[in-house]
Amino acid sequence: MTNNKVNEPERMVVTRVFDAPRELVWKAWTEPKYVMQWWGPKGFTCPACEIDFRVGGKSLLCMKTPDGQEGWNAVEYHEIVLHEKIVSSMYFSDSKGNKIEPEELGLQDEAIDGAYDVTLFEDLGNGQTRLTLVGNEPMGSAKESGQFEGWVETLDKIAAVVAELRAVPQ
Amino acid sequence: MVERLSHGPASVHRLTEPFALSQQMISKHVAYLVRARIVIKTKRGRESVCTLRPEAIKTVSEWAFSYRRFWEESLDKLQEVVKQMKKEEAEDDQ
Repeated sequence: MTNNKVNEPERMVVTRVFDAPRELVWKAWTEPKYVMQWWGPKGFTCPACEIDFRVGGKSLLCMKTPDGQEGWNAVEYHEIVLHEKIVSSMYFSDSKGNKIEPEELGLQDEAIDGAYDVTLFEDLGNGQTRLTLVGNEPMGSAKESGQFEGWVETLDKIAAVVAELRAVPQ
Repeated sequence: MVERLSHGPASVHRLTEPFALSQQMISKHVAYLVRARIVIKTKRGRESVCTLRPEAIKTVSEWAFSYRRFWEESLDKLQEVVKQMKKEEAEDDQ
């Protein structure tokens, strides 16, 4: 097995182009009223959202699974450039914003120590905005070893497995 | 692999059989699942036996916390929110 030595781990990058001006996307990204409408994966809701949007501020967000389980995340802001850039760090927390180690939730901790999430808002002209999210998760090593694909695949299959587990009493 | 384990515990050797992968690769994958606390590995004689942790699976599935998926799906929703905001703004301007 090859031992890959990566000095600068490849980060997870997600981009999305919005057919809306930058100020609007920024507003949807930063104001609780709007964040509550989109925070969390498909089927999840966001019943609580407190945002203290300033450098040194901390936000607290709740997402609720389709069957009612609640999970909390806290976000701390390190740098804010109006309508352009947000440097933050996000972690799992309890409902009071105290950090919870991902392992305690049965999740693998993939964060890079000391790395931040960076959100960029680019004006593309024609009333379009490109949002770029650079996560603090290392992609490189996992991808090279095939573990990343394995993990995604695993998650894809898990729903079916759970349905099966639920159907068969333990 | 998770699917296979949902039918019951199996040895690493058994888990290797249906896959065109070396036992070393399978062990690595198992180690990954163990680290993610999806699978428990116990020793039975000379063999390692893998068992699914249903609670863990439940947790992971409910969170579906692939970081990328989290953001992709949140952004799908954000797109709708922005569309709606734009519409409301246009209406206000009229």
